[in-house]
Amino acid sequence: MTTHLSRIHEFASRAPLASWLGFQASGEDDIVFRLTFNETHIGNPAIRALHGGVIAAFLELSMQADLFARAGAAISTANISIDYLSSSRPENMTGRVKLLRQGRRIAFMEASGWQADETRLVAVARACFTLG
Amino acid sequence: MNDQLSSGDINPAIGGMLRAARDFLAHEHSLFRTLALKPILIGKGKATFSMDLPPAFAGADGMVHGGLFTIVIDSIFVLAVFTALEEIKTIATINMRTDYAGTIAPGARAVCAAECEAIRGDVAYVSGKLTTEADGRLLATGAGAFIVGTKGPMKGMRL
Repeated sequence: MTTHLSRIHEFASRAPLASWLGFQASGEDDIVFRLTFNETHIGNPAIRALHGGVIAAFLELSMQADLFARAGAAISTANISIDYLSSSRPENMTGRVKLLRQGRRIAFMEASGWQADETRLVAVARACFTLG
Repeated sequence: MNDQLSSGDINPAIGGMLRAARDFLAHEHSLFRTLALKPILIGKGKATFSMDLPPAFAGADGMVHGGLFTIVIDSIFVLAVFTALEEIKTIATINMRTDYAGTIAPGARAVCAAECEAIRGDVAYVSGKLTTEADGRLLATGAGAFIVGTKGPMKGMRL
């Protein structure tokens, strides 16, 4: 049976970036995404936090995978904007995504990422995607 | 008040740190070594670098994933802020907007040009773009805000 999660895995398996990020997804009704920490994800080694762009890439890939699983068609990101709400640590990151609106040609999504505590978000991203 | 950046030379203290940072980025840092970052232009409030777009950063469509565009843009924007400072301070991204204007297959090189437009209080504003090295075709534009300096200890700062 093809499930939402299996379609997410199918999408991730086609993206080399997913391997670089250590990208994982789990759950059925409530999908959570995971970035598996790796030394190459560090921004400034003197501070040892995740690179902001790496966080953005993880949240963007999470939104893309979830949207692909819903739409079942080719999707492409038109733009993304991200706010960094708090500092990160050199650890895994968990993400959750939300579909704000899916029209015929474009979709709007939002993603949030955190580490130890979901109430202390590290970053929130919003992106617009074209469908088909 | 909006303090436009005065044109002029990079502060010597920043310049020395910048040379160290450039060598560090090119040789020591794993992510930036992977991207083979090469400086093209560094001035006060300006930074232009070229870089590889390796196959490891491809998306599901086989083209370079936009996430790499954002990684590169964020990194070079921070350097543009750094060159604008009068003394060494920490720099952390507050927010960033990236418009994906084009696509490119992995393996080619790109050029990221960033300019620090203004520093108002503790916030620096940067804009810039990413183009193909071969023919200057636009891949992405970016605009970001950065917080400069920290009131507390550096520990825990993101950048």
